[in-house]
Amino acid sequence: MRCEDVREQVDELWAGEAPGEVRLHLASCPACAEYLRDVRLVRTGFRLLTGDPAPEPSLGFAARLVRRLSESSEQDAREVFFEYVGRRFVYATLAVVMFLVLALVVPSTGPLRAAATPDLLMAEQEAATVRPDPVGSYWQESSASAPADIPQPADQEQKGRK
Amino acid sequence: MASPEPDVAQELEWIKAAQQGDGGAFGFLVERYQRRIFSLVHHLVRQREDVEDLAQEIFIKTFRSLRSYNFQASFITWLSRVAVNHCYDYLRRLRASPVTYYSQMGEEGQRNLEAHAESPEEGGLDQAERTALQDLVGKLLDRAPANDRLILTLKELEGYSVEEISDLLNLKTSTVKVRLHRARKRILEDLQELRAGRR
Repeated sequence: MRCEDVREQVDELWAGEAPGEVRLHLASCPACAEYLRDVRLVRTGFRLLTGDPAPEPSLGFAARLVRRLSESSEQDAREVFFEYVGRRFVYATLAVVMFLVLALVVPSTGPLRAAATPDLLMAEQEAATVRPDPVGSYWQESSASAPADIPQPADQEQKGRK
Repeated sequence: MASPEPDVAQELEWIKAAQQGDGGAFGFLVERYQRRIFSLVHHLVRQREDVEDLAQEIFIKTFRSLRSYNFQASFITWLSRVAVNHCYDYLRRLRASPVTYYSQMGEEGQRNLEAHAESPEEGGLDQAERTALQDLVGKLLDRAPANDRLILTLKELEGYSVEEISDLLNLKTSTVKVRLHRARKRILEDLQELRAGRR
């Protein structure tokens, strides 16, 4: 058995269970015998540390913790609320500002304002030439076939003059 | 003899209430487990002045992540996982302090210490030797890599079995055994280097 093989048996040595051939090697190898002493030293040290008492929680530790949790959750809720309201306020303000900007900028050049007067007159003239007055044409066409008791506009005017 | 069931049922009620944000219910859980967590943190970090602050951080972290607790493991196992992970992050930032008492002993004193420590009963050590040995192993732990320190503490100081450690760290038992084996080898090598460096 080589010294490296003894090192690989550290778990067994740690548990105090040295196999036969390991014990034989230890009996004749001072370095490995020292290694075994180190194992026992460290193991004993751990046992002593186990007995080292942990500090006790200070008085009111749990109550202070709960208070801190409650304060931080209220703070979180406020932050969430302000973020929610604040974000919408900012968006609404931006929308109003954009609307005002458009309302001020657009009139001279934009398509949102009413069309200019010459444009309107031209549009009316075009409409008149394409579609003659439908009321006048109807009465001219149908006066011959109209019932006698229905006064015609032209007859009424003549009667009025007389 | 009182049945343990009402305790478990009560704990479940506290956990469910705390998951809905009930700080008072969580306070009952803190009172039940604070000493366990203080002990675990103390063994892991070995800085008495930091134990309470770390324990508070652990409980706050636990409360904030409580909704993710799915009742598959016991609550104390889940809480211990949070504690171990938090202490692991803390350990990675720590620097080890030098060994003092052991270094101050003469070579003969150290030999006597080693001889007495071989005795199966710790009654073979006097108070000075106990202090020196605690200091030595404590500092060896402080010098160890965080992973080694974690597994040695859980096994040797907290007394967890390999299976319990695998559950706590979410590792296979074979992985835990390998890590424990390597951690023991490394701490012994460090002791030899410490001794060789002093000579």
